[in-house]
Amino acid sequence: MNSIDNAVLNPAIGWVILAVFSVLWVVLGYYLGKRSKGLEGFMLAGRKVGLALGTATAMATWVTSNTTMAAPQLALQMGIWGMLGYSLGSVGLMLFAPLAKRIHELMPGGFTSGDFVRLRYGNTTWRIFLAISLFYGLGWLVSMGMAGGVLVNALTGIDYKIGMTVILAVCVMYTVLGGLRAVIGTDFIQTIIILIGISLLAWLAITEVGFDNMHSAALEHRPELLNLLMPAAIMFLFNNLFFGIGEIFHSNVWWSRAFAFRKGVGFKAYLIAGLFWMPIPVVAGFIALTVPALEINVPAADMVGPMVAANLLGTTGAILVFIVVFAALASSLDSLLAATSDLILTDIYKGHFRPQAGDAELARAARFVVLGLGLFAWILCWPRLTTLAELLYFTGAFVASTIWPIASGLYWKKANPVGAAAAMILGTGIGLVCYFTIGFYVAALVSAFVSMLVVLLSTWLMPASFDWSRLSSMDMQGAKS
Amino acid sequence: MTISITALTWLVSIALFVTVLAPVVLLIFWIKDLKEGTLW
Repeated sequence: MNSIDNAVLNPAIGWVILAVFSVLWVVLGYYLGKRSKGLEGFMLAGRKVGLALGTATAMATWVTSNTTMAAPQLALQMGIWGMLGYSLGSVGLMLFAPLAKRIHELMPGGFTSGDFVRLRYGNTTWRIFLAISLFYGLGWLVSMGMAGGVLVNALTGIDYKIGMTVILAVCVMYTVLGGLRAVIGTDFIQTIIILIGISLLAWLAITEVGFDNMHSAALEHRPELLNLLMPAAIMFLFNNLFFGIGEIFHSNVWWSRAFAFRKGVGFKAYLIAGLFWMPIPVVAGFIALTVPALEINVPAADMVGPMVAANLLGTTGAILVFIVVFAALASSLDSLLAATSDLILTDIYKGHFRPQAGDAELARAARFVVLGLGLFAWILCWPRLTTLAELLYFTGAFVASTIWPIASGLYWKKANPVGAAAAMILGTGIGLVCYFTIGFYVAALVSAFVSMLVVLLSTWLMPASFDWSRLSSMDMQGAKS
Repeated sequence: MTISITALTWLVSIALFVTVLAPVVLLIFWIKDLKEGTLW
């Protein structure tokens, strides 16, 4: 499907770019990681991350294959609402701003989102949450590993499996070397590269094609792309809103940053990151609207971004998009590797198997967990199973079911463990039924709605009275039963 | 009901402006944090 005939870059140029940026990220990761001290240094960058790095890491992590490859894909499939729907992903970041402040206040010594759920709701709910969170983390990791392979293949003709392997290996390497400090440090540079790169691509697309040509060709050949009343696309928009909120509210990627930021930084960093993230899917996605004007034959929807850039801008465009997407993938892959391995280390290894493990043992184990997770993701990425958006949206039903248990658990004393567990199970189950019977674009929406009903009903019927001080007296011993 | 060319132009132009502004703001934050010793 993605033959070498479609590739614009010479494989040799592809290898040079891969090599240069791989060395840059690994050296930077090693340099930054040298200053990490102990478990908190490795997992949470010493809990002293400032506003600049905090804002950049939130932006970079959220700019991923979603925005650089799947945003053009969705713009091609759903038109205007496809890219606007993606923009609503920023609402999750902005809504997480007050939560980050609250998390820091309630759990100044916390490590993972799992810590919160365990202490707030008990072991059963914690295990359900862990299953959802780990499944989602792995799904996201695999979708980005696959995106890396697709990109390398589409632009250079280098085999999908080789490209995917290189990108995954580089991210694993510098995350192992420097932990969250390396992740956040590289995120800053990656954010700047991404923002400048996509701005340049968009500017060149506007000057090369022009709004007039783009609009008239789309109107003639693909009028549905400009349709403001496409029902499936509007459903997608709301679905994406809840999907984004669910992803951010529950995922340890965002919780670990809330723990890692300096006091007073979390609220501002997430709010500013959300505001600056909002236009990115539009800037990255709208170039897909040039497809009718350029009369490009797109063999697979998830290749549209790189193909348009290459068609418009030749070798320079292909190099630029390659660098941008490599930075976007690395910035999210490293964050996921770090945050998911934290969850495995703290909530699975220590929480279930080695409650007596001390900081030194955990700091050593942390590096092996990152390695193992990278290897597992690599195995799952090997066969290119599905398109990027499909894989990502399959997890929508899972994550959206966690929105209400998390939000009510942080603010509402009366929220209870049974309601939280039932909300996650029923929300996920009914969301999945809708995913298969209606479409991917409703799964998160239905899941969040069902979850909300269950939380409200259970809290009304069986109100609890949670003592908030239990969260600050961190019990790191893990499961008791 | 289709989006007009004017609306499309405004939408993309505003999005592009904010995206260009973002790295400038991030660099200002970075310099401020560096000066105050609050980068890490």
